[in-house]
Amino acid sequence: MKKFFAVFIILAGVSLGYFAHLQAQGAVQQIQVGGSPVVPDNLVTSQPVPRLPDGTVDLTGPWVGGGSNGNIERDGGLKAGELPLLPWAKELMSKRQEKDEPYTACLPMSVPRVNPYPWKFALSYTAKGLSHIYVLHETGDAGAHRVVYMDGRKHPDDPIPTWWGHSIGRFEKDTLVIDTVGYNDKFWFDSRGTPHTEQLHTVERWTRINWGRITNDFLLDDPGAFSKPVNLKFTGRLLRPDLKTGGGELMEFICLEGNEYGAAAGFVPGQGTSIK
Amino acid sequence: MRTKFGVLVAAFGLVCVVAPAIAHHGFDTEYDANKKFKHEGVVKAVLWTNPHMRVHVDVSEAGKTVTYNMEITSPNSVQRQGWGRNSLLPGEKVVFEGYAGKVDETRGSLLSIAKADAPDKPLFVQGGPEAAQQGFPGAR
Repeated sequence: MKKFFAVFIILAGVSLGYFAHLQAQGAVQQIQVGGSPVVPDNLVTSQPVPRLPDGTVDLTGPWVGGGSNGNIERDGGLKAGELPLLPWAKELMSKRQEKDEPYTACLPMSVPRVNPYPWKFALSYTAKGLSHIYVLHETGDAGAHRVVYMDGRKHPDDPIPTWWGHSIGRFEKDTLVIDTVGYNDKFWFDSRGTPHTEQLHTVERWTRINWGRITNDFLLDDPGAFSKPVNLKFTGRLLRPDLKTGGGELMEFICLEGNEYGAAAGFVPGQGTSIK
Repeated sequence: MRTKFGVLVAAFGLVCVVAPAIAHHGFDTEYDANKKFKHEGVVKAVLWTNPHMRVHVDVSEAGKTVTYNMEITSPNSVQRQGWGRNSLLPGEKVVFEGYAGKVDETRGSLLSIAKADAPDKPLFVQGGPEAAQQGFPGAR
């Protein structure tokens, strides 16, 4: 008890000292908010990559990033204009306006879209072992959850298109490979409006390269909108685990409870859900 | 006391945060970078709501009261940076800056807000159009 008190006093002293230092510098108590705090670059190898008791790599996270957001070319390591969009898709994209993207009406982000809020791989077990991995996004699920079937099943022959598609997964050593078909065409790859069709087939290869970072080697294969398959690469960063509130955990986010997007400029959100 | 601790946590958090100040993704669709304003007023309401919190501030303008509806980020983001229920309360005098809506100029994207008796110590600073120009992937 005494030891705890002593440690507490020391920590309090250090904190106050640091705080006073900031004050003295004229630094403000400003809180740069927006997005989620992540493990910084200089700490990404400060802990080993965790593993489950059976040796499986632990990909849980939660992670921030690891996909596209504002610009899938820039976010995914391509040069501007490098995406091999077919002419009709380029034309559609040029007509799309950022204010109409479906995501702003609290509809799903889908794949490979992320935003600066965390998400995690949630492994689900039954008596038969690892049966499902759920990808839980703090904000972009729209009430659904992305399911990755880990039981060895195949894709259905003719799936009804859905926002998240039909995903089957397997581990190749320490890489989680997720193969998905059955997407609808309603979501956008980025806020610019990069389109796709129901022919979209994606393969994600998730590798936790160290404690603090996970890479997503992403194959985009959609002959309906692209002249050839494209490889992109994204990196996700581990959510900081040590903050007082919300540290290391997903928090509730009911997008529809107060969505006033568009009110300041006189438009209604999410008008771009259809390809037509 | 709780608020002070929250601020201390935030001060530490500020040092360690790597994810940059969020460019307000979609800023250009709703708000006008040329309509930057600064006002002093009294907080009418702090709405802890998703996808964006809102702070309503009553400002006296030419003898009338105008209520500004200022948009911040989500409750989750501010909590992760140390805000609590009592960080900003109705009745508090504040000075705030923001960018007005393209159509409704009583709505704005909040750039910063500080208590009127400590204007150099904002409780909140958010990347505006300047941050957006840095090409940050964007936020909502």
